[in-house]
Amino acid sequence: MIKCYGLGAVMLAIVVLAAGARAQSVTAAGFSAEGLYNLANSYDRAGKPGMAILNYERARLLAPNDPDIDANLQAVRLASGLPAEQPAWFERAATLIRPAVAAWLGVLGLLVVGVSALCGLRTMQLAWLRRVGLLLGLLLIGSTVANGLVLWPRLQRAIVLVTGTPVRATPAPLGESLFTLPEGATVTMLGEHQDFVFVQIKPETRGWVARARIATVVP
Amino acid sequence: MKPNERLGRQVSTWLAVLMSAVIALLALPVHAAPQVLSATLNPSEITIGHTALLTITTLGSNADDVLLPFVGGLEFRTVSQSRRVDTATGATRTTLVVRVTPQMAATFSIPPLAANLGPLTLTVDPDRLVVDASPLPHKTAPPRVVPRAMADGGIQLMADGAAFVRLGIPRRQAYVGENIPIEIEVGGRAGAVTSLNGLPTLIGGDFTLDNLSRQPERAIRSIDGRQFTVLIWHSVIAPVKQGVFPFSVEVPLTVKFSTRPKAEARFDALMGDPFLQNYFGPTVTKEVKISSPRAELTVLALPTENRPADFSGAVGTFAISSELSAVEAAAGDPLNLRLHVTGSGNFDRVDAAMLGSLPGWKTYPPRSSFKESDTLGDKGEKIFEQTLIASRPGVQTLPALAFSFFDPSTGRYATVRSAPLTVTIAKSLADTSLTAPASGAVAGVADGSAAGAASGDAPAAGMRPDHVLSASSADSLRPPYLRAPFLATYSLLSVGFSAAYLRMRRRATQARRVAPRTGRRAAKAIAQTRAQLQAAAAQSPQAFFASARRTLQTTLAALWQLSPEEINVQAIDVRLGAAGRELRELFELADEVRYSGRAPSAADYSRWTQVVVNQLNGEGAA
Repeated sequence: MIKCYGLGAVMLAIVVLAAGARAQSVTAAGFSAEGLYNLANSYDRAGKPGMAILNYERARLLAPNDPDIDANLQAVRLASGLPAEQPAWFERAATLIRPAVAAWLGVLGLLVVGVSALCGLRTMQLAWLRRVGLLLGLLLIGSTVANGLVLWPRLQRAIVLVTGTPVRATPAPLGESLFTLPEGATVTMLGEHQDFVFVQIKPETRGWVARARIATVVP
Repeated sequence: MKPNERLGRQVSTWLAVLMSAVIALLALPVHAAPQVLSATLNPSEITIGHTALLTITTLGSNADDVLLPFVGGLEFRTVSQSRRVDTATGATRTTLVVRVTPQMAATFSIPPLAANLGPLTLTVDPDRLVVDASPLPHKTAPPRVVPRAMADGGIQLMADGAAFVRLGIPRRQAYVGENIPIEIEVGGRAGAVTSLNGLPTLIGGDFTLDNLSRQPERAIRSIDGRQFTVLIWHSVIAPVKQGVFPFSVEVPLTVKFSTRPKAEARFDALMGDPFLQNYFGPTVTKEVKISSPRAELTVLALPTENRPADFSGAVGTFAISSELSAVEAAAGDPLNLRLHVTGSGNFDRVDAAMLGSLPGWKTYPPRSSFKESDTLGDKGEKIFEQTLIASRPGVQTLPALAFSFFDPSTGRYATVRSAPLTVTIAKSLADTSLTAPASGAVAGVADGSAAGAASGDAPAAGMRPDHVLSASSADSLRPPYLRAPFLATYSLLSVGFSAAYLRMRRRATQARRVAPRTGRRAAKAIAQTRAQLQAAAAQSPQAFFASARRTLQTTLAALWQLSPEEINVQAIDVRLGAAGRELRELFELADEVRYSGRAPSAADYSRWTQVVVNQLNGEGAA
């Protein structure tokens, strides 16, 4: 039994060391939730709600549980005449942890589940401990999966940067304009064709928007 | 002379005088022409594509009856009319403003509108921005345009002098593809021509009358002292092949012919008014077709010498200009390039070949529209609109556009060019979304390394303040678990654990297969073990337990992949825990019997034999 968990600890240590080394190599240039949040605040002060909403959304990807980001995002949306977002309980619960933490919890969960399963083959002792380990590991993996399920749609989002952006029936500059979108409106990208992106505004409302007039949340 | 006869003569004389007076009154034109006081033309020199204004001042209020002059190659159209009453004299003066539009470049002479006025002269120059300085393709001088002179200038009355048809074409040589303006006049003597039964048609010449004006102009003309109502159509013909083409115009009419002898027709002339002529003489109505005198048009082929490579068949006089919808734009923003082609000629051959692809720009197919400035479609403006999207930021220059055509007035090809256009393209908004705004408070940027301290600016009302930047940063906004390193880790862990689990399971399964547990061989092995144990029990308790212990060690060692010597009480505790209680007792009892010499009962032998057999059967704790 001790040998099994010792093996798991060694594997975890190897993974942590490897990931830590990679993390050290990427911190030289990157994004931070605080930096994006401050950038969004500066765009709000400069009177550019589209850019502000875009960077709040980006900050929210890194820190989905930050109340300041949520509060300022909702304030800018309301000031721009856009509807406020009301996240469901599952969304709030799944984003209690940051994605970076969720990623490590996923690793830990896999280790715990794997070690528990292997130990079960080696010995019949401490069966309750193995069961607790399996349950705990599955919970950790589940938290990672839930975090991903909530954040995945946000990765497909884009923000309208120019007020009065026309949504066209065809991906052409002179295509028929169906309606216009205000600055800061959030759309979901479904596809793209040359200089146009096929977006969905509501479940039944879709159209083509010029790529230059929107910016993706994930650059 | 009797008094009654004298009275009769006097009455007859008075009746004759009265009748003559009535006839004289009736013979007067229904509408007296207004007296034209002045006529001015401003400006007197213009370029093709522009117009001049002819201002006519008349005495009286019936300026509508002013007969506008007819000049081939000039179009007169009334644009406004105003009246002014002189409070001192009570006289009314009407000012008529007529727009004069030339259809070709030439010097026109407008005949005097009144006896006290002189003729007016309008000079129309061709309008070209840049003309190709290539030498003349022909050594001979280009054909000169004589606008007023017609192929058959004289009017030939037909249908017993009741009507005429006149075809006016420019007396010069034409070129293949050139739009030749023509004018068709159909005159009918009032009262003699009762109806026009169809539109004029061309006879011969392999031409078709396109764009025939729907509503002909109307005019009153006096020919040999008789009033004719004249309908005037304008059209263009476009020859498609070279040669000499005679042609004429034919019009179907319904005409009243007088059946009186010609000798008596002189009295008709005295009647003056056609109504009275018809009243005093019987007539017959006939449907006839009258034709114009035959005209001839010489069509030359377009010269092949010095023909520009981009020539698309446009023949006429054109000028081009271009403009962009904005002088500043962001990369990715669509811009509208508008190209104007103005002038006169066959606009249907003016195409968008000059709007091709541009390096550094994404271009879309252009669309065109045509705004004609005359009813014939010969003159106007063709506009090409092309959507462009700049792919690179910076100051971009759109090169000059060139358009080549054949100018029939000079007899040579010409190329006109628009001016180059400059536009400043900024970075796209999406590209600048991670940099701080140029104005206003500058906070930390997204680049973690460059992230400075939080802005010191006060937050806006209702907004939360800036955060202090932390040292942690990510190389992507995508959650780590969706990026390659973590996905690889998950995959490795899953595959590794799965492989280890499956391997251990297989080894355990194989171990179970080593011990024969079922079938005839298993039964035989168990029977042999029972026999050995019974023999050992008969020998001594030490021999029985030693045999039982050895059998279990062999079995468990194969199962647990250990050597038989490693199978002891501690190993059983570790492996089986509480489930291995009986095996543990057997091992302890074997040690006790070996050293104490205690003899177990027959029931004990049976119990321990069954424990060993159960283990061999796979029904044991292991």
